Parts: sequence; structure tokens; C-alpha cells
Amino acid sequence: MWRMSVDLPFPYDGPGALREPVEAALRRVVDPELAMSIVDVGLIYGVAIDATQARVTLTMTSPACPVIEVILDDVHDELGRVLPEGTTIDTQLVWEPAWNSDRLSARARLFMGW
Amino acid sequence: MRAPALLPALAVAALLGGVAGGLARLGLTPFGQGDWLGRAAELHGALMICGFLGSVIALERAVALKQRWAFAVPLLSGGAGLLLLAGWRDAGAALGVAAALGFVGVNVQILRRQVLAHTLLLMAGALCWLVGSVAFALQPPGMEPLPWWFALLVLTIAAERLEMTRLMRRRPGAEASLYAVLTLLLIGAAVSGALYGAALAALAVWLLRHDIARRTVRAHGLSRYMAVCLLGGYGWLAVAGLAWSATSLGWPLRDAALHALGLGFVFSMVMGHAPVILPAIAGVKLQYGRRFYAPLALLHLSLLVRLVPGHAGPALRALGGLLNTAALALFVLTLMAAALLWRARKQNVGVVRQKA
Repeated sequence: MWRMSVDLPFPYDGPGALREPVEAALRRVVDPELAMSIVDVGLIYGVAIDATQARVTLTMTSPACPVIEVILDDVHDELGRVLPEGTTIDTQLVWEPAWNSDRLSARARLFMGW
Repeated sequence: MRAPALLPALAVAALLGGVAGGLARLGLTPFGQGDWLGRAAELHGALMICGFLGSVIALERAVALKQRWAFAVPLLSGGAGLLLLAGWRDAGAALGVAAALGFVGVNVQILRRQVLAHTLLLMAGALCWLVGSVAFALQPPGMEPLPWWFALLVLTIAAERLEMTRLMRRRPGAEASLYAVLTLLLIGAAVSGALYGAALAALAVWLLRHDIARRTVRAHGLSRYMAVCLLGGYGWLAVAGLAWSATSLGWPLRDAALHALGLGFVFSMVMGHAPVILPAIAGVKLQYGRRFYAPLALLHLSLLVRLVPGHAGPALRALGGLLNTAALALFVLTLMAAALLWRARKQNVGVVRQKA
């Protein structure tokens, strides 16, 4: 069953059966300094999956951050473990709209003392 | 996009030359003798700040930008270090100016992606590198490159920490007070050592008050280790500021000011971020463990030896310097062990998966 989801921390468009595994995979990608997942930091702008391809649109808190490539590699690796074999993974790094602190999850806000 | 292996190698060559020169200044010559050692001692600051740290920062930024031309900057700054060691001061200084100019260009590209407070501060740091390098090349009377070169490091770190403070609720006026402190730092670099030192101390207070390390020190593992590095570094930044001001007022604290800043503050940042940055620029993954605290503790203790009993006489200061070097060497060994452990762990996981 295919559906759009609004109860995830990011827009999801793809098979319902993959919804939870994809979210769990992305939650395993952690910002090392914060000890928080990129989902909690609010870096994921959306995931779209069709029969052949998974497209993840994401941002970073800074365009000068050297860890960008490491995080993109980790997203690739973690999604590769849960997606059906043969699915190509396309990570789209975008700078618009710019990240801001409104994107932090409730868990992240609690840890950061909001 | 990873950095070509030559570029980290050039930065490490500048580091080795800089460390050998620093030890020679203290009367220690474990790396032998030679004309190069005299030059390394004379140009210790240029080798450590521009040849090593400038190259590492430029590598970080080139990896972030993902544009091949940006890797020319660490090539130029690392090459400048080699030329300086080889005795070609003018050519090395010219290459240093070219590196700083290239780094300004890299920051223009980053600003084209996003104009934010911290990307503007990164650009200000790049401009300080350029001012310092021009001063080093042209040697105008009364203009020291060192405060400007340190400003590159301080502004870069301040910019990166400002970026992270966006994750916390900021107190009103926090951002404005940081800009005021950094403006004083730049005015101090131009006209007053006392003001420069006061701005460094004020920055330490700002960072201790606003940095996310106050939160992440309650986390665990790598996150906590990074926070400990940051908070310890801010303590040394305060010491450096006070010593810098006191030096400009005639107190004999120049060694304390330079090394509380360069080793206590900046190298604490390097030790804290290396486990994250090294995989990004060199593609070397590391297995974090508590062993990372050993070189950090040695760095801080050796700096205490250098600054407190070392203030009384050259022998104890030299002992402190030797222990500083031991801390850096232990850190390199820790990184190598962490890389081997990660590789071994990955192979074990692979074997388990194959059996499964």
C-alpha cells in the first residue's frame, strides 16, 4: 500500500511497509557532537520512494561543515540495509529552506534545555 | 570528495617542522641539528599556524565545499611551510599570501550558499589570515603577523561554536555581545595587545556561558569527550587572554600567552574534533574510546608544568615543552590505534555476517 505520511517527523511518500524501517534507518545516523540523530536535529526534509529509487532530501546546519560527506555516506549505508535490493539511493543536499531551530524535535529541544 | 593524500602529508610536515622548531627554542634538539632547525625555530609560529592549522582548516572547508579548486589552498599553505623550512622565506611568504587569498575565495563560495552570521565570521577569519600573511611577507614596521594569524583560528572556532549555539535557546543579546567582543579583538590586533588579550578573555567567558558543550558534557561517549575538550580549551583561552594583556603591559608572560592560546585552546579544539574531522577529510574511520582522554589530560597537565613551574626557569619550561610534544605524539598514536580498532571491528562484523 502506497501513501503520503504526515505523522512522521518528515514528509514521506512511498510504500507503507517501508515507512518504519526507513525512519529507524535515518534515526541511526547520528550527529557525533550532539549524540542526536539527524532526524531529531531536523535535517531530513523528505523521503520519496518508488519501485526503483529512494530519494532523501536533507540539509545541514552549516554549508561550511566538513562532516557533510560522512553524514551523506551514513544515510546511504543505513538506507541500503533496509531498502529492497536494487533500489538506488539518491541523497539531495539542499540549502533552501535554510535549517533553523524550529526544526528540532521535542526530544532534541528537551536535551538542549529549551 | 576526499582530500588527496599529499595535502594532509604537507600539513603534517609543517607540524613536524614546527614542533622541532618549538623544541629547539627551548634548547632541545632531539631531531638533530642543521640550518633547517634554526629556520624552524625562527618560523615556529608560521609553521604551526599557517603551515599546519591553516592547511587543516582549508582542507575542512574544501571538503565541505566539494569543489576541486578549493584543495589548492591547503596545497599552497602546506607548500609554503616546506619552502620556509627549505630557507626560501620570500617564496614561502608569497605562497602563504596566495593561500590566504584562495581561502578568501573559498569563503566567498560558502557565502554564496548561505549568508549567515557564522559564515560571515568565517570570512572575517579568512581576511585575518590574509592580513597576517601580507604582514609576514612585507614586514611593515610595527605590524606583527601573529595576532592576525591567531585571529584566523579564534574567529574560525568562534564561528563554528556560534553555529552550534543555534541548537540552544539563546539569551537576549548573546549574539550582539559576541560581535562586540570580536570587534574588540580585531581592533586589538591592529593597535593594542592589552585590548586583544581582554577580548580573548571576554570570548572565553562568552563561550563558557553560551556553548552547547554545557549541555553535551552531560551526554556520553564521543559527544561528552568533545565537550570536555571544548570546556578545557575555554579555560586556557581565558588564561591566554590575561597573559596576552599582561605581556603587552610589560610582564614576562609571552610564552604563557602564546601557548595557552595555541596549545591550550586551539589544540584542545583539534583533539576534540579530530575524531569527527579525520573521517571527513582523510576517509579514515575511527573507533572512539576512553583512551582519547589520555593525550588530552597530558596536554593540559604539560601546559600547567610549562606555565606555572616553567615560569621560574628554562629547565622546567623545557620539560613542559617536551611533555607538550609527548601529548601530541600520544594523540597521534591514539588516532592510529582508533583507526586500527575500527578496521578490526568492521572485519569482525563482516565475518559474523558471513557466518550468519
